[in-house]
Amino acid sequence: MGGITGNAVALRVSVGILVLLAFVPLLHSSYDENLVRGVLMFATLSFGWNLIGGYTGYVSFGNVVFFGIGCYTTAALWQHWHQQNVVLSVVLAMLVAVVFALVLGIPILRLRGHYFAIGTLGIALATQEIIANVDWLGAGAGFPVRPLDAYLVYFYAMWVVCAASMLATFFIARSKLGYAFVAIRENEEAAAVLGVDATRYKVIAWAISAAMAAAAGAVFAGANGFIDPPTAFATDDNVFPVVMALLGGVGTVAGPLIGALILTAINETLWSHFPQIHTLFFGAVIVLVVLFLPRGLLWLLNTRGGWKGFVRTLGAYRV
Amino acid sequence: MACIRVGALFALAVAGALALTTAVPVPARADDNTIVFGAALAATGANAREGALTKAGYDFWKDYVNAHGGMKVGGKTYKVDIKYYDDESNPQTAARLVERLVSEDKVNFILGPYGSANTATAAAVAERLKVPMVEGNGAAASIFSQGYKYTFAVLAPGFKYLQGILEMARTLKPAPKTVAISTANDTFSVEVGQGAADYANAHGMQVVYQNKYPADTTDVSAIVSGIKAANADIVLNGGHLDEALLLQRTLKEQNVNAKIFGYSVGPDTPDFRKTLGKDANWVFGGTQWSPTAKYQGAPGFIGDSKVYAAAFNKKYGYVPEYHNAESTAACLAFMYAIEKAGSLDPQKVRDALQNLDVVTFYGILKFDSRGINVYKPMAVNQIQHDDLMTVWPLGVQNAKPAYPTPAWSSR
Amino acid sequence: MQLFAQDLVNGILVGGIFAVVALGFSLVWGIMNIINLAHGAFVMLGAYTAYVLFSTWHIDPFVSVPVGFVLLFALGYGIQRWVINWVVRAPLLTPFLLTFGLSLLIINVVLVIFHGDTRGIETAYSGSNFSLGPVTVAWTKLWTLVVALAITAVMHVWLSTSRTGRAIRAMAMDIDAAQLSGVRVSHLYAIVFGLGAGLAGAAGVLISLSYSLQPSMGDPFVITAFVCCVLGGLGTVQGALVGGLVYGVLGSFGAQYIGTGLQDAVALVVLLIVLIVRPRGILGKATA
Repeated sequence: MGGITGNAVALRVSVGILVLLAFVPLLHSSYDENLVRGVLMFATLSFGWNLIGGYTGYVSFGNVVFFGIGCYTTAALWQHWHQQNVVLSVVLAMLVAVVFALVLGIPILRLRGHYFAIGTLGIALATQEIIANVDWLGAGAGFPVRPLDAYLVYFYAMWVVCAASMLATFFIARSKLGYAFVAIRENEEAAAVLGVDATRYKVIAWAISAAMAAAAGAVFAGANGFIDPPTAFATDDNVFPVVMALLGGVGTVAGPLIGALILTAINETLWSHFPQIHTLFFGAVIVLVVLFLPRGLLWLLNTRGGWKGFVRTLGAYRV
Repeated sequence: MACIRVGALFALAVAGALALTTAVPVPARADDNTIVFGAALAATGANAREGALTKAGYDFWKDYVNAHGGMKVGGKTYKVDIKYYDDESNPQTAARLVERLVSEDKVNFILGPYGSANTATAAAVAERLKVPMVEGNGAAASIFSQGYKYTFAVLAPGFKYLQGILEMARTLKPAPKTVAISTANDTFSVEVGQGAADYANAHGMQVVYQNKYPADTTDVSAIVSGIKAANADIVLNGGHLDEALLLQRTLKEQNVNAKIFGYSVGPDTPDFRKTLGKDANWVFGGTQWSPTAKYQGAPGFIGDSKVYAAAFNKKYGYVPEYHNAESTAACLAFMYAIEKAGSLDPQKVRDALQNLDVVTFYGILKFDSRGINVYKPMAVNQIQHDDLMTVWPLGVQNAKPAYPTPAWSSR
Repeated sequence: MQLFAQDLVNGILVGGIFAVVALGFSLVWGIMNIINLAHGAFVMLGAYTAYVLFSTWHIDPFVSVPVGFVLLFALGYGIQRWVINWVVRAPLLTPFLLTFGLSLLIINVVLVIFHGDTRGIETAYSGSNFSLGPVTVAWTKLWTLVVALAITAVMHVWLSTSRTGRAIRAMAMDIDAAQLSGVRVSHLYAIVFGLGAGLAGAAGVLISLSYSLQPSMGDPFVITAFVCCVLGGLGTVQGALVGGLVYGVLGSFGAQYIGTGLQDAVALVVLLIVLIVRPRGILGKATA
């Protein structure tokens, strides 16, 4: 129960749900198919964030930059080489993103806490604006990206990317990498003393999270039909994965998927019934989640002492 | 074991959440005697104002048709209805909503959203689902370079927006020679600016300043000081309402004078005049339509612009401007095409749209092979004495252009 | 040369407003170690306060500055005391997301009340300007700068000399020692947050004179506040002022000479360079 992968039962249940989701296109309308594709996309982004923010403790507020790189890879492949091959764009996107993460990671990961968070946010915003001035990438206008006629490909591509991310998180968590990440999170100086090369592991964590986000972006771009800087670097795609990881459980394997499912369900329900003010309710949901589930559902499940134990955790951070 | 109990409870919760997602009640389509159009329109977000103008244009047509016996298609009479969703001025949301309208709400056809980016994503969906979409508010030509067969635009494309002003300028004396162009860095505005620059270069005018600014910028001081230093006769801007307001204010603050100030979007909207008051005078705007346009529309709808304007004003309490008219025109394109096709079959209607050639109060509705209405000219409005007057082309003007614009200090 | 001078002046004028926006943010961050992502929403509320007062009772925005300050101070105090206080000592992510959620709430409430329409304040003197050699200076912007500097000066004096101000600085240095000396920390935290919000509100009122109003208008100012704090140094009034002015001028020149399409990117790149090379900023003290 608990441990580096989180609640074991929840993990098995999540895998089961993931498998079930693969059948959605066969049983539901294309609207639902797109909705679930969205869940898978956000879950992937959340898995990526979870590695650097959850396991390693470096809260990134700019992982959307990798998603955007993935989007633009697909867009550029179509615009300049008329390529629509999904596998090609995913692989290429991951490569570009990893290089980007390695190059920027070394200076940026020297920062801690708030400074790291702002630094990553700054990278995301700066990249968005720089791309908006590069004509080869469509500048501010963006390009339409013609989707494949076999549109189902995008759903299954996203499913594969999501499943792969979850699997990767599982194996990483139980490997030397995972323990190094957690050691860095808990006490970076102590970890260094014990021989953990913090810089190397931080950069690896960030690079893997970059690859996941870029893969999701590469698939998304083809499905969306249009890419411009605000679409590729959308704030939603930056913040939601973080909230989802928080909701589901930071530093667990299943947390991101759980969080993505629940948050999408909430968002969709709110949107259907209160189209005018759903964002307002969504803000309230975020506030409630943060106040009552500071580390997420899966950790909540592991809290001892039943309800009283839960209530006691609430007051832990006040002044 | 507590672990398993909790885990099971939890699984139930998640499964429930998932079921909830896909079990949102879907209203069945009204009945077989109604043609339903779907529209994802901005009711909130950056384009809320323009979205509302578009909706009014669509609704005016719907109410008119229903009040005049409905549409006759293939021997049967139908009422018309429009189902709206708020796309929050977000292109991805627009695409999702169009998907929902077609696959869940089962509408017959799609009316376009407001804004070029939203239209681009919606067009991709319409293409994939093979449902015709006619739009009147997405002017960027890049939408139509994808080979899409199911989307049609009734409005003149983006690159034409400011060309009318330059065309008019060439006939004024003394002829202005130099042009400064600023554009917002988004799909539509960039195309507008480039169209103006290309026209100027092709007609002996010199572009002395051309620059972009970030689409959601709050400060244009650097652009304005650059324009001032360039000392241009004509100062043009491609952007939307917010930027037009910001620029006009900043131009006054830095005391930038020019013979002509022109905006692609802004001067036509009541908000522009209301917010800027006297400072809005003398400003030119490119316009798709004005109430003085002298077209004679085909039977089946109001054929005269003045009559349209009066009826619209009576219903909504304000004189319509081009956003309203082009939206109504989008509906008219569908109306004539459906009646000609004699059927509601999407493929037949699409073909009828491609071959459409009809004159309406808004102008000619005819699409080239890409789906763009290249046959419709842009007109030019100017704000004179707090009123909006059409000053170009000569065939539709109801006032002469007031030229040159006096210096700020002497107003 | 004329262009250079004009850009310099523009940069200074806008930098004054940035300083006031940054000041509130800097206090909350420096003293409570909380990054308030709702700061932009507070600025927006200040602007809308000015708008309502102006359009209903024709109250000039310069007169509304203290009103904006007081209203937002009360709101900020309440939010800290009864909401944020629950997680004020939690790790970074929690207050970050909490303030983000609050920001969404506030923006959407305003959206429901005022809708998405762009609004503006046009006073009799809007746009009027005078010439200083080759440079044109707008009166509104100049007076805004003066008021901004005045606010900054007042805050500095208050923090240094008043009892509460000194208690706040003690608390920032060592919270447990402060508590042991009788300082009511939860009340003071609420005061600090209230001050941050109040300053944001005052800045918002000043901003309403130069910019159009929209519920989402506050978002860019959060980034601005970040950059100014990092540039100038955290937690001090002088830091916010220096940061604001430097950022204003840098942005202005960056826009003109590197590219107006890149004006925000220039500032962000500067931010990144400063973060990497000298994270404590120009005036900041090296932290332990």
